[in-house]
Amino acid sequence: MATEPKQATEDVKIDLFEDDDEFEEFEIDEEWEDKNEANEGTQQWEDDWDDDDVNDDFSLQLRRELESNNEKK
Amino acid sequence: MAYLSMGEAHRRITEFLNRFSDAVSYQDGSSLKQLFSLSSNSPFLLSLADGLNLFQDANRLIKQSEKYSQFGDIIIPLFRSIQSYKAGNLVDAYNAFEKSANAFIHEFRNWESAWALDSLYVIAYEIRVLAERSDRELASNGKSPDKLKGAGSFLMKVFGVLAGKGQKRIGALHVTCQLFKIYFKLGTVHLCRSVIRSIETARIFDFEEFPKRDKVTYMYYTGRLEVFNENFPAADQKLSYALTHCNPQSEANIRMILKYLIPVKLSIGILPKEWLLEKHNLVEYRKVVQALRRGDLRLLRHALQEHEDRFLRSGVYLVLEKLELQVYQRLLKKIYIIQKQKDPSKAHQMKLEVIAKTLKWLEIDMDLDEVECIVAILIYKNLVKGYFAHKSKVVVLSKQDPFPKLNGKQMNS
Repeated sequence: MATEPKQATEDVKIDLFEDDDEFEEFEIDEEWEDKNEANEGTQQWEDDWDDDDVNDDFSLQLRRELESNNEKK
Repeated sequence: MAYLSMGEAHRRITEFLNRFSDAVSYQDGSSLKQLFSLSSNSPFLLSLADGLNLFQDANRLIKQSEKYSQFGDIIIPLFRSIQSYKAGNLVDAYNAFEKSANAFIHEFRNWESAWALDSLYVIAYEIRVLAERSDRELASNGKSPDKLKGAGSFLMKVFGVLAGKGQKRIGALHVTCQLFKIYFKLGTVHLCRSVIRSIETARIFDFEEFPKRDKVTYMYYTGRLEVFNENFPAADQKLSYALTHCNPQSEANIRMILKYLIPVKLSIGILPKEWLLEKHNLVEYRKVVQALRRGDLRLLRHALQEHEDRFLRSGVYLVLEKLELQVYQRLLKKIYIIQKQKDPSKAHQMKLEVIAKTLKWLEIDMDLDEVECIVAILIYKNLVKGYFAHKSKVVVLSKQDPFPKLNGKQMNS
């Protein structure tokens, strides 16, 4: 039991020398073709998601909640 | 270990010496670089270590011949490093390697062309990983781990040799990337700044001329730095560059880029498609995205809590926490749309009480003053357009575009 706190501080010290997201080395002569830039963007991301649709489950619950509030008054 | 004769030991040592001096005289970079690649654990270097252990007097062999002795300052410590490495004594291996590397850059500086650049890359890589392993050895023996810091100083020196004019300059970005890896590991990322300035202000060299692998690595690390600085449009530009140009085969690197790019995109109002999260196993972002779509504050809080450790470790927790305001915006917009469907004439008047009750439904307890405060922040950040009617405790929403979209812009700070 007595040695436990010491162990903990050592862990922290070693932990300082960590970067979980260290980029992997490419080989010195590694070559590759880029992906098709133009298509990539629109396939991966969505920027017009903030629509006026309120028919999803969450919105339907929200509507019920708002209406019950009104009834109480 | 199989029996090793003295003659065989001698043969291995002279083979190394001949390969070294031939590589230099023929300016054969790809042969030279193999002689420094300790971590490749090549049979050639490992069997050389056995030869050196037996022969014991390789230094005399080097000094006797002029052909070898001119490289004595590089080779003698390199031999010591190879022996220590094979014996598993990493700190000694590091110290000797650093000596050899210093002597190498002294020669490299005098060579006019950049033929030995690949060897320099190998040395830069070897010294970094050797330093990391040495530090682990030191720390486990209760000593202060200072080799990685030393490797950083060495690479700064190398950077200085390359950063001038001429062909060698093309190697500066590779060394910069090795330095980034060291600084991120040591937690001294502020040291990146001076190297970046030197790369980005150098007019004599166009960034696009650097090798692709170095450009991608550089953009990944500078993108991460922009995330820490909360400069999201710049982070978006750099990380997107890394993503587009990364080797499509390099799944681990693509995943790491996305790990930072996704929170950046979210914070400027752009969502990743579901398949992207699935494909790269980044499911920790799934609920965050869902919370934004719905306007579900409770879900956002749960999602942040669930993966708190992961988000804190990668440093994106604070970025994600700030998404809360966008989720408030979405929630208010939904209330507005539902009100509008019921009674279009009154929809732009939103009672604070209605907001408070909705929040309570989402298990968030706020009194009317607190709700007013949140809405005031939303107005200030230009996420809501409107004003307060204080007496009636109502927000009067603008009739035109009451909930402006971010459209790739950063929220006002």
